[in-house]
Amino acid sequence: MSVITDKPDADSILESSEDASKTGTLTITDEQMLEGGARQLTLNMGPQHPSTHGVLRVILKLDGEVITDCDPVIGYLHRGVEKLGESHRYAQVIPWTDRTDYVAAPANNLGCVMAIEKLCDVEVPERAEYWRVIMCELSRIASHLVWLGTHALDIGALSMSLYCFREREIILDIFEAFCGARLTTNMMEIGGFSRPIPPGLPGLIRDFLKIFPERQQEYADLLSANPIWMARTKGVGVISPEAAISYSLTGACLRGSGINYDIRKAMPYSVYDRLDFEVPLGQHGDVYDRYLVRMEEMRQSLRIIQQALDTVEKDDTPLMAYESAYVIPPHKGTMTTAEDMQRHFVWVIKGFSPPVGEAYAAVEHPKGENGYYFVSDGTALPYRFRVRAPDFVNLAVLPHIAQGAMLADVVALIGTIDIVLGSVDR
Amino acid sequence: MSEEVAPELTTEETSAVVPVDPWSRDAYFDPDIERHPAVRELRAAMPDAIVDVVRFRDETTIHVRRELLREVCAFLRDHEQLSFNFLTDHTAVDMLRLRSEPRFDVVALLYSLKNRVRLRIKAGCNDGEQVPSLVPLWNGANWLERETFDMFGIVFEGHPNLKRILLADDWDEGFPLRKDYPLRGWREFPVYNTERTVPRVRTRWTGRGV
Repeated sequence: MSVITDKPDADSILESSEDASKTGTLTITDEQMLEGGARQLTLNMGPQHPSTHGVLRVILKLDGEVITDCDPVIGYLHRGVEKLGESHRYAQVIPWTDRTDYVAAPANNLGCVMAIEKLCDVEVPERAEYWRVIMCELSRIASHLVWLGTHALDIGALSMSLYCFREREIILDIFEAFCGARLTTNMMEIGGFSRPIPPGLPGLIRDFLKIFPERQQEYADLLSANPIWMARTKGVGVISPEAAISYSLTGACLRGSGINYDIRKAMPYSVYDRLDFEVPLGQHGDVYDRYLVRMEEMRQSLRIIQQALDTVEKDDTPLMAYESAYVIPPHKGTMTTAEDMQRHFVWVIKGFSPPVGEAYAAVEHPKGENGYYFVSDGTALPYRFRVRAPDFVNLAVLPHIAQGAMLADVVALIGTIDIVLGSVDR
Repeated sequence: MSEEVAPELTTEETSAVVPVDPWSRDAYFDPDIERHPAVRELRAAMPDAIVDVVRFRDETTIHVRRELLREVCAFLRDHEQLSFNFLTDHTAVDMLRLRSEPRFDVVALLYSLKNRVRLRIKAGCNDGEQVPSLVPLWNGANWLERETFDMFGIVFEGHPNLKRILLADDWDEGFPLRKDYPLRGWREFPVYNTERTVPRVRTRWTGRGV
């Protein structure tokens, strides 16, 4: 190790941290007798357990089948997105956001470009805003489908995952038709979209809108009144409204407890204030309510897509705010005239320098509030790039709801928070 | 953020001098930053807490003294009309290249579920100084402060379980989001199939002068 210039007082804290070398899948690492003859087991779940949705590791302390303590261990997928963002130019940061929550990449992109646009004061054309909304709501449905499939699979309904992933394929095909990529789409650009909307795209989306309500009814028929599903989810993992606010929960975890906070309604961004939709709220704050909230969110997303598509399908106005200096120059002409080529080249190589200041923009991500915080020092690189990941903050509630729950419910509790470890660990 | 539409004044109202409602939503976005309700109330209740008040792109930032961070947040949370009862984000910025003192800014982003406005609270702290933890006010601050400690080495006084969260517990290379930490880290990396190691060099292009 080379010389570290700073010697913080934090050293003593680090030295006292416990060793993390014990890993495995469902291994009993400790067993001790408690008072009264009870045995306390320490059970290590993950990081390779299929129900932890990636590489989450949970250390459980058990008294019989009841959980007395729960300690989630994260960071196995940490790639340092914030540090990387500080060494890339502003437009180069956007692809990194795809790789945080990779099941809803367009929603991540939108938060990032909105923060940059706020910092640079870029006005985005209305047509591009509508297309952004369409893509974000499609990604919300795709993300909820992944959640529903894996959550139901964890609890025991295997066929749900097959059905959900079948419908998700259609959405990924739409993404592919729109931008050429299926998962890490990187579709949003600062100032709008620099490439035209493919002519067949509205038709693909309309086909999806036609078939999806029926398919979603199938899922609801399979689960909503299913006695096994209700026994596994009702009254499990109850979060009170006070606890939901105290734990800074956002998204369905907060709304399942009855708190009405949806950024699309509370602080409307993009064109959400012109669209008609409802925000579903739960009553009991249990796993079943959060399931109902997410199911209803998918139906509302369909409404939003329908309205937005009706508005912009015949629209032929510009998609990009080319008058701004912070926006990539037009691709048109780059292969035929030297001036266009140079302008394009210089923008891509050198980037742009926003004014000195800071900006925070948040979107209602499928999982909650996804915020991006940029601090600019007036150079081409962000001085500080911060991702407020919704599921990182939401996951902190797991010890609270796992306390006193049964061991078999842990998979339901992890599933209901709706985590993607790429976003938790960043 | 959302555009603020000026209230349409009728002829009667324009003729008389209309006192602006000090608690209206417009007051939070008033060009005169001293009329921001949080700034006004804080100046009245804790005159020595505020160091600076900044407005940029409709976002209000209040710089407060480090020792009073928790008291300020508790005041804003429990105030009946301000009601900044939601901790959206809690992080830090290393200001090493931007100013000499203090080194870090601890940033708490508050949100008022009642008024639907955000407010950013910043507290400057130097390396080695302890910042009051917000965990007694919000449980959500627990992991966010652990992350800030993990990335910046800022110690939060009163935190129940302050240890690394994203990096490994035995990570001994310092704190990655500090500005004097090279992008690729300090450690030498091995050359495959050999016994040699190559020192990592600082490769970060700073982008100055662009």
